[in-house]
Amino acid sequence: MVEAALPLETPPSTARTAERRQSVAMESFSYDDDIVRKFLMVTVVWGLVAFLVGLIIAIQMVVPSILNYTTASGTKPFAFLAFLTNIQFLTFGRLRPLHTNAAIFAFAGNAIFAGIYYSTQRLCKTRMWSDTFSRLHFWGWQFIIVLAALTLPLGITQGKEYAELEWPIDLLIAVVWLGFFGTNFFMTLKIRRERHMYVALWFYIATVVTVTMLHVVNSMAIPFGFLKSYSVFAGVQDAMIQWWYGHNAVAFFLTTPFLGMMYYFMPKAAERPVYSYRLSIVHFWSLVFIYIWAGPHHLHYTALPAWASTLGMLFSVMLWMPSWGGGINGLLTLRGAWYKLTDDPVLKFLVVGITFYMMSTFEGPMLSVKTVNMLSHYTDWTIAHVHAGTLGWNGFMTFGMIYWLAPRLFQTQLYSKKLAEWHFWIGTLGILLYVIPIYVAGVTQGLMWRAFDQSGGLQFPEFVETVTKLMPFYWIRVIGGTLYFAGAVLLAYNVLRTWMTRPATYEVPVVSAPSIRPENVVAPSFKSRLHANTEFGHTGDVFLQNVQSAWWHRVLEGVPYKFIFWAIAAVAIGSALELIPLFAIRSNVPTIASVQPYTPLELAGRDVYLAEGCYNCHSQMIRPLWAETKRYGEYSKPGEFVYDHPFQWGSRRIGPDLAREGGIRSNLWHVLHLQDPRQSSPQSIMPAYPHLLDQPLDFDAVQGRVRVHAMIGVPYGKAVLEGQAKAMAEAQAKSLAEEIVKADGPKGLENKKVIALVAYLQRLGTDIAKPAPEAAPAVALAPPASEPVQTTARAEGAQR
Amino acid sequence: MSEIDIKALPSDPLTDHEYDGIREFDNPTPGWWYFLFGATVVFSVLYLVFWHFSIGGWTIEESWADDQRVEFKRIFGAVGQLKPDDETILAQMNNPQFMTVAKSAFLGNCTACHGRDGGGLVGVNLTDDSYKNVKKVSDIYRVITEGANGGAMPAWKRALSDNERVILAAYVASLRGTHPATPKAAEGEVIPPWPTQAPKH
Repeated sequence: MVEAALPLETPPSTARTAERRQSVAMESFSYDDDIVRKFLMVTVVWGLVAFLVGLIIAIQMVVPSILNYTTASGTKPFAFLAFLTNIQFLTFGRLRPLHTNAAIFAFAGNAIFAGIYYSTQRLCKTRMWSDTFSRLHFWGWQFIIVLAALTLPLGITQGKEYAELEWPIDLLIAVVWLGFFGTNFFMTLKIRRERHMYVALWFYIATVVTVTMLHVVNSMAIPFGFLKSYSVFAGVQDAMIQWWYGHNAVAFFLTTPFLGMMYYFMPKAAERPVYSYRLSIVHFWSLVFIYIWAGPHHLHYTALPAWASTLGMLFSVMLWMPSWGGGINGLLTLRGAWYKLTDDPVLKFLVVGITFYMMSTFEGPMLSVKTVNMLSHYTDWTIAHVHAGTLGWNGFMTFGMIYWLAPRLFQTQLYSKKLAEWHFWIGTLGILLYVIPIYVAGVTQGLMWRAFDQSGGLQFPEFVETVTKLMPFYWIRVIGGTLYFAGAVLLAYNVLRTWMTRPATYEVPVVSAPSIRPENVVAPSFKSRLHANTEFGHTGDVFLQNVQSAWWHRVLEGVPYKFIFWAIAAVAIGSALELIPLFAIRSNVPTIASVQPYTPLELAGRDVYLAEGCYNCHSQMIRPLWAETKRYGEYSKPGEFVYDHPFQWGSRRIGPDLAREGGIRSNLWHVLHLQDPRQSSPQSIMPAYPHLLDQPLDFDAVQGRVRVHAMIGVPYGKAVLEGQAKAMAEAQAKSLAEEIVKADGPKGLENKKVIALVAYLQRLGTDIAKPAPEAAPAVALAPPASEPVQTTARAEGAQR
Repeated sequence: MSEIDIKALPSDPLTDHEYDGIREFDNPTPGWWYFLFGATVVFSVLYLVFWHFSIGGWTIEESWADDQRVEFKRIFGAVGQLKPDDETILAQMNNPQFMTVAKSAFLGNCTACHGRDGGGLVGVNLTDDSYKNVKKVSDIYRVITEGANGGAMPAWKRALSDNERVILAAYVASLRGTHPATPKAAEGEVIPPWPTQAPKH
């Protein structure tokens, strides 16, 4: 419908509109559905990959528990599965980032693009601005995904969750996202033939600008060669930036674009008007303004300053209603159309998707409450929460959209509605069988970690006990994951068969619409018929939207560049107010004089730790909670992490915390444990790393790595001089290897990766108990291997 | 009574918006939405003021220190600071409560190298009569505290408190003469039985 410029206060009249329509020239054009078909197809393919890798890592968590199962006759029927735990490219630590990246950026990403390219063209009544940019975007994004799938199993990673991809790929992402996609999208808004932008477009705008901001800031790193880089931020600040990014990737990659798609495909599929235009305004702006603050709730009770943690919690709590606004608007759009659910799989998927969205966005604020988080943090509760969100909300919204789009894009009938129904029920059952046992597992483990017995000791002092307990739940998860994957296979088959019945050549309908000129957008055309109402909700709407009795928001919807400006402002305010003080105010990270940079060898070991993805299962952050210090030792201090580029606090303890791992076990124990964890702990589910005992450590890279760290502010002193770092690393490696031989361990490890990793592990958390250096030394070497914990000053954690 | 038509389009007023066939109702935002949103804002203001701008709040570190005092008192309140000498350590072997606490510490910290039952893995067998660095029970305390064998046995003075190390030494001493599932071969020299502990075998 064309909306001509009408004077304020003048109600629209059919006669006038018709008159206007005649006076404006009609233009003919066609939509680019080919690009939508492309994105739709790869969404299905990458979805299969993402779910399959997820299924594999779910199996990896249970397989170690049956490897040593022995029958009465003495055979080990499951021993052949050992390859799932000891092939270096397929360990959990490397596949888990592949799973998350594939699910978020490949599956959900391509689904977003399919939805945006289809709906934006129609909502703007124009073809995309540039077919070339559309295709550059498509092929560029697929290229990025292939690079991710190659580099992550090879251990090429920045070591930051959901931002693992190395710097050349990060640059590509920035170019493809903003340069191709963003430019194309914004230019399409500019050439639109629809005066006002529909709410779906608002959410797309927020997505494009915010993801750009998050990606650029969080990926700031100094390259070390072509395949490695180090975050310019360290420790507390890096953690804050990372979770500001991580949480808002959920917000602006998995929430806002999907809300936009819901606003398009829900009313389309239901053939009903959207419940409330006013609600969409109120919840859009409150959502984008508040969401950006919520990141620090991932860091409760860590070394992050309490004020930041509190802001993260409170803005998460306040986010409850803005999130639900979208859910309400989606579900209430079905008024008068609920009966359609019985025979429409599309609506079934959309409704269950929105339901999972509302459950997750209630649970999110609840989990962000510090006291709840005290229990849930580091447990499977988080895993269950995100899977309710991704499998339920992102997955089902995508499936619903695909079933709706497929017959329209391929200009034929859906191959089988019955298969789609099967997909729906199998998928729903799959989600339930995934999340319910994992919720139980999360709460169980959280309670076990904090349980004390009558005498005052930990009731479950052995960490592995709290893991073994979860095995039955992990088995049920494998079943749930299999069902969800099977559902996706049905989808793929259905789409394939639908595609096979497509016409020889697609029809390209010619659409015509009157052009609009930007200068026409001067006044709103619409005046509410409800504004005299004094009902409570309505009062709020009038207060928020009817400033100076002008429908300011309606005007704003007609001016994209202003809309974009305010969207940027909304997300920039929270970001600035949380991030700038953390960098600017020194007292946030009190320095500890005895905390020194890692030695060159330890730094090399840290890279092994990153490459193997140890952070996917081990945290390095002990919270000031009695049960936690009892289990792991003194709680972590902000000043301990000032040389950690990037931070490695982790988010999940599938294995125990390692923040105070230094010096509490022998070097030989570490070597043997890395070679095969089940040697020392039969029930361990950790992968085996025998290759670390064989692969040579690249001593030639040691010098350069130290220099890069010096460049980002680590005080390495004379260690940066040519040859120094390498010599120091070799000396430390030699002394460590000798210790291991002396303890009857394997020979010849002095030039192997394992030595560096052990050196790093033995350093963790030990500096705090050392005496402060008298003068600033160039670099403090780790304590000699013979005395792993050289302390004179006793840590306060031990003064009981 | 008229039947409700479940298929009917709701009779709410529509806006005149239309985008690709999508219309929008002019319904107000639900009142309860504003009410709950307002409630979360009020809660947040009160929370912020109480915890960060009033004398009523406390920090998690203070709360941890309280726990520490309470727990020390609960476990060791009756005995105060234990002396790491032979007499005290031997006496603790007969204190069932302390032996339970010590067992928990043993399982949490020592199992990795010495096995759940002290039979030895990478670390030595703690159940036999042979010892490498120990002649009397106070030596066990010293080894736990300072470490031994060039770091093969780590020092625990940072990770465990004084009292914990005393009762842990007693617990380790009490393992002598027990029968582990898979005992490691004896290392070091055979030493005489602990003074008050008659050999069990």
